[in-house]
Amino acid sequence: MTIQAGWHPVALSGSIEPGSSAGIRLGGNELVVWRDNSGAAHVWEDRCPHRGMKLSFGFVRGDHIACLYHGWQYDTAGQCRYIPAHPDLRVPASITVSVYSTAEAAGMIWTTLDPAAALPELPALPEEVVPVRSLYLDCSAGMVIDVVQAMPPTSSSGGSGLADLKALSGTLFSLKVGEETLLLGLQELTGKRSALHVVIDGPAAKYAGKGQEHFFAWTSELRHHLETGRAGATSTTRAA
Amino acid sequence: MMARITLYNYELDESCYKVRLALSMLGLEWQTVAVDAFPGAEQKTPPFLAMNPAGSLPILRDDEMTMFGAESIIAHLARSHDSTGAWLPADGADFAKVMQWLFFAAGDLGVAGAARRHAMFGAAGDEAALRAGAAQALRAMDDHMTARGFEKKEWFAAHRPTIADIALFPAFALSRDFGVDHDEYPALRRWARRFRALPGFMTMPGIPDYH
Repeated sequence: MTIQAGWHPVALSGSIEPGSSAGIRLGGNELVVWRDNSGAAHVWEDRCPHRGMKLSFGFVRGDHIACLYHGWQYDTAGQCRYIPAHPDLRVPASITVSVYSTAEAAGMIWTTLDPAAALPELPALPEEVVPVRSLYLDCSAGMVIDVVQAMPPTSSSGGSGLADLKALSGTLFSLKVGEETLLLGLQELTGKRSALHVVIDGPAAKYAGKGQEHFFAWTSELRHHLETGRAGATSTTRAA
Repeated sequence: MMARITLYNYELDESCYKVRLALSMLGLEWQTVAVDAFPGAEQKTPPFLAMNPAGSLPILRDDEMTMFGAESIIAHLARSHDSTGAWLPADGADFAKVMQWLFFAAGDLGVAGAARRHAMFGAAGDEAALRAGAAQALRAMDDHMTARGFEKKEWFAAHRPTIADIALFPAFALSRDFGVDHDEYPALRRWARRFRALPGFMTMPGIPDYH
């Protein structure tokens, strides 16, 4: 399976705490996203070169990630630095994990599988966003945006105004509803599964709590519609 | 002196693990009797059926009383041996929500245990249906913990960990045993990290003991 060139969101920033890791899928590829204890995020191939174990099953210590299987430790450049079974060994430079470019923007962690890709060229993104959720969907990525357009949320303040959906890139969309704006990051997991990372453009002082709950309810309706093909008419969804 | 509490235990059984977690996190002393559940099915033999006619594990003996069922056992342990009452709040919404998630653990989430028994011990079942059912139950848990985060709440039922968290943890922590990864449950990943950091936490085979 191929995934389009360019940058892809793979997690909400807050979902990957310092010192933790998670497996992710991108276009059928198995990747690990992890955050070192200094706070930097990394996206790698999810495979220890020793025995092929998933590194996402392992654990983060300082600025190393260690494989669960035999404890081989890798630095932030993907270079193996320590093999517990051979503590005195100077680890050969050839033992490395494939590392992908990683960036954080709009409250999401981004990566690209294209080694030549420059940092994403996106319109000026807000400094401050409030996370809603990563919505995992049992449908193809291609379906998601059409349905978002067909059933956008109301604004959390109850204000009126048309919904306006704009593509900022192939994987990032802004959805303006009344005076409020959501940013939506679309991740193709496989040909049949996708994820939509949802944040609110604005300060926590304004949106933490009630604002998050409002848009969370909308994401649940969106998921229901995408997975069952049926809309549930409720207060947070605007009629198409 | 013999400990007052005896757990009839199978180390690889996730329901027994719930009880071991509760005993350890409550800071209790106990002794275990190893039961050959697989492949021996010893829990279905007459001496065990005399203690638990349902033929399942875990079984707990506490002083003169014998009881079975992981959720009821951990409720008993919390009520009888936790003088603070924090692990099982006595009343109000906290009690209600602990009960709700405790019964969810024993009911809706039971499909995760069935999926794991099918994958690991060859128990009967439709693998795809069991896995899908378990993923659905875990998704309901992740939805709940995502929403809890909006209120700055870190635990399933109350402002602090309760026996509901203990009853729910094994199914998530062991989900890779039946082929469901943690990728799609970000709120549960964060909750599990907090849970692992609680005093008295212990692992079991299938749950990595980071070192």
